[in-house]
Order: sequence, then structure tokens, then C-alpha cells
Amino acid sequence: MRWLPTLLLVASIGIQQSFADRVLVLGETAAVKDSHSVFLNSIKERGHELTVRAADDAQLALFKHGQLIFDHLFVLAPGVQVFGGSLSPVEISKFVDAGGNVLIAAGSNIGDALREVAVEHGFEFDEAGTAVIDHHNYDQTLDAGDHTTIVVGKDQIISAELIVGNAAKLGPVLFRGVGLVSGKSNNLALNIVKASGTAFSSDPKAARAVNPSIAGSRTLLIGGLQSRNNARIVFSGSAEFFSNTFLASKTNSVNPLVQGASSGNAELASAISKWVMKESGVIRVKSVNHHKKGETVPPAEDYFITEDVVYTIEIEELKNGKWVPFQGKDVQLEFVRIDPFVRATLKNNNGRLSAAFKLPDVLGVFKFLVDYRRVGYTHLYDVQQVSVRPLWHTQYERFIRSAYPYYASSFSMMAGLVLFSIVYLYHKDTPIKGAKVLDSEKKKN
Amino acid sequence: MLRQMYYHPIHVTIFRMAAQVVPVLTKLFDDYQKTTSSKLKIIDAYMTYILFTGIFQFIYCLLVGTFPFNSFLSGFISTVTSFVLASCLRMQVNQENRSEFTAVSTERAFADFIFANLILHLVVVNFLG
Repeated sequence: MRWLPTLLLVASIGIQQSFADRVLVLGETAAVKDSHSVFLNSIKERGHELTVRAADDAQLALFKHGQLIFDHLFVLAPGVQVFGGSLSPVEISKFVDAGGNVLIAAGSNIGDALREVAVEHGFEFDEAGTAVIDHHNYDQTLDAGDHTTIVVGKDQIISAELIVGNAAKLGPVLFRGVGLVSGKSNNLALNIVKASGTAFSSDPKAARAVNPSIAGSRTLLIGGLQSRNNARIVFSGSAEFFSNTFLASKTNSVNPLVQGASSGNAELASAISKWVMKESGVIRVKSVNHHKKGETVPPAEDYFITEDVVYTIEIEELKNGKWVPFQGKDVQLEFVRIDPFVRATLKNNNGRLSAAFKLPDVLGVFKFLVDYRRVGYTHLYDVQQVSVRPLWHTQYERFIRSAYPYYASSFSMMAGLVLFSIVYLYHKDTPIKGAKVLDSEKKKN
Repeated sequence: MLRQMYYHPIHVTIFRMAAQVVPVLTKLFDDYQKTTSSKLKIIDAYMTYILFTGIFQFIYCLLVGTFPFNSFLSGFISTVTSFVLASCLRMQVNQENRSEFTAVSTERAFADFIFANLILHLVVVNFLG
């Protein structure tokens, strides 16, 4: 246990470092610094280190000597056709595989590079030149007449506070850009912001929309996913969604039901960036303990069948840069031997979640399994393997009252045998008159 | 052999059958008394005792339940096996079966019987509880 303080020190340094994350921001030109300064500054104020580059900068790289040199990648460059440097859609997939988080913001002038990145992650942007059009929810002030500046109501936003913040207090959200759909087989897709039922994706310059490729609420405005390694990716159809103009704007929707003084873009952009940068919705296991009821440490060898056990897991959540006790009340424990034998909801006592139960009357190799998947949270998975063995020969109950007749009978069999042997051996057989003697016996005699 | 079919009431039939069985049983008992050697009678008495002990245990188990199942198995199997071993001994020492067991003398048969019983009761005690 001498190494424990050192480990804690290293861990605490790790937390400090993880909070000052390195972010690579790519714009079509470096002017993104000015057009999106409010959004970028808010991230800088949260203590992160931003590197702003043009998307076709020849020096771009995400890895150096196989190590990540950035923790997060923001691409606010819709029109980029080919990334500069070593950056490419495949490189971005590798970045995600290595645990990097990605925020992609596109627009109607979307280039091939971003469409490829989306396809790599189970989403698809509509073609270049198209835009999401909604004749019933456009903004009267900002719109240029083609009804592509749309106003998004609260009901179109995913109900996950960890991702979008407090949606109830959110003002209407302004959006102008390209539509997005998630692939049918993309089980991890999150429809963060979807379009209204009257929206469709088409070329706004065309005289008439003929068979729009995406229409209705299937159209995503912002989609996201958390990959199996907990890396997070968000695709927004609109880079302007994050722009200074939209963040500071007032809304004036043509739809009387979606009204509000100022846009909710700032709050929503902030919440989404916090989620994608893993500042919210991150949980981890602090410690796990299981033991027999009335003890404090796991048994030295194995558990025995039908023993009472207590399982405790401490879970922490990252909130405002600090690990605080997790308050969720829906974490379940499973006691599994291929199939779960026991499933119990853990009682949460300020981050210490525990359950007490009786082991099944079944021996084998079991696992204490906590597999907690909730929208917005990182995947929590903890396995503790234990063996459950049958009772020792000496652990069974002895001298059971109802078994006394059996004991008596068994011993009477032994006594009977002895008695019989004595009588049998000392008995002199008297020949019986008229006893049949076989012919063969006669011959022998 | 013309005989008019006449059906007696059932109790009469039973009485007649019983009347026929009684002399058969009496004959059997008499023959047993006369022709069976006294050593075999001792074995028979021993086996009867075992039989009743076994039946008693089985009824007890039906009434009380199988809870210390190992004890029940142990006690019950001990009676069953004792019965089987005793019957084996009886077969081997019976003079009428001499021709079947030419290689086994009565002394050898008894020694085998004791040896098998020793093993049986070791197992029984071990499993009893």
C-alpha cells in the first residue's frame, strides 16, 4: 500500500491536466477567430488551450510520435474539400479511436472532407448546395427570403440535460445550414436537435423542391454519438449556429408558438461543447468492495453458496472540473454466471451505492457486474469475478432431529449384523429329516 | 360338462378364493417348517427384521419429508443393501443350490458377506450426516 499516495498524486495531477485540454480549432480561414470569437472565448475561459488554424494549413497534425497532440478537434470549416497536412477523414477516425473528441460544424457549402468524416461515423450530410428549409419556422428578421434561417423550438431538442443543459429554460435556437441523417445501423446516434415536421432539405435556389432527399423530423440539425471508447462526436449542420451573429441575436419566428426574446444558441452551444469536451456526463468508479455480511473485506478464498453478501461501489461524477459523488439512483448490480442470477438496484448513499443480497444456491464462477449506460453519461462498466463454492463436508448441519430414525436404523443394521453373525456362527445345524438332497449331491457323497 | 352359468355375489367369490388360499398357505408353512434348515431360518428372520426396518423408514420419509435427504438415503440404502447381501448369503449357503456354487464354500460365503457389509457400513456412516 506504499504506492497508494503516489498513485493518488499522479491521479490528481491527471485531473488537473485533463481540465486544461488542448483544442485544435479549424476554420476555413483563420478569420474564424473573429466570426466565432464569443464561442471560442467561452471555451478559453473554461481553461482550455485553443489552437486556431485554417483547415487547409499544411502543418496540420493530430498525432506526434503516435501520441495525441490535441484532446479535442473542432472543425468550423464547412467548405473544406481536402484537409491540410496529415489530417484526413481517416486520420480523424483514428483520433476518435484514440479517445479524441470531435465537433464538426458544416453548412450549405459543405465540402467532401466533412461529408466523408460524417459517413465514417454513421451520419450523412445532404449534398452541397442544399439547405434545411422550413416555411413555417423561419426567422423573419435574419432570413434572406429563402426560409433557410430556421428557428428551433424546445420540443425539437433531445431531453438529456447532460448534453443540452436545461432545455426548459432555453430560448428558441437559430439554425442555418445543411441537413443530416443518422444511418439506420447507427445504434449510438443521438438526435440532439431535429428539424420540425414541416422542414425539408433541398436546394433553396431551385424554383420548386422535387423529392427532397431528407424531410420532416427525420432531418437532424445536430446529431451526436458517444463511441464505444467514450469518445464523443457532434455533427452540426450549421457553423453559423456557433457564430457571434446567432449567439447574440434576438429571434423573431414566423411561428407564434416558438417565441422568445433572445436566442438560446449561446446556452445550447455551451452545453454541447461541455458535453463533447467531456466536462459533463463523465462518471467513473472510485472503488469497489464486496464482502460477507458483517465483515469488511472480501473473503480470503471463496464465497460459499447461500451466504449473505454486501456489494458497494463508489461512483464519482465530474462536475465543474471536480470529481463529486454520483447521485444517480438507477444503477443496477447483476450477479452473473453467463445469465444473471441476482439483479438489484443499488441504494445510493451520497455516491456510495450498495446492495445486500443472498448468494444463490448455485456454485460456480460468478461476476459482480455493473453495466451502466445512460444517454449523456460515459459508459460505466465494472466486473469483479468471484468463485462461489459448495459447503465443505464439515459445514453441513449435524444431528438433525428429524433424521434420528435414519441414524437409529443405520446403527440397528450394524448391531443386527453383529447379532446375526454370532447367532449364525454358533448355531449348530440339525439335519432335517426328509430334506431333499439333490441327485448330484448324492453321487458326490 | 354342461353346467349352468351362475354368478355368485362378489363376497361369496372372495370367500371361496380365500378358502382355496388358506390350505395353500398352510401347506407352504408346514413345508417350510419341515424342510428348511435352521441356519436358513436364522437368515430369514434376519431378513424379515431388515425388511420391516426399511418399510418403517420409507413410511417415515413419506410422512416427515425428505429433508436430511442424505440421512434418508443412507438409512434406507443400508437396509436395502443389507437385505440384498443377506439374500446372497442365503443363496450361497443353501444346500439345494450346492451345484450352482461349487467353488464357494459356506465359510467363504459368510466371509464375503461380512466383507461386503463392512464396506457398506463404512459408506453408510460416512454419508449419514
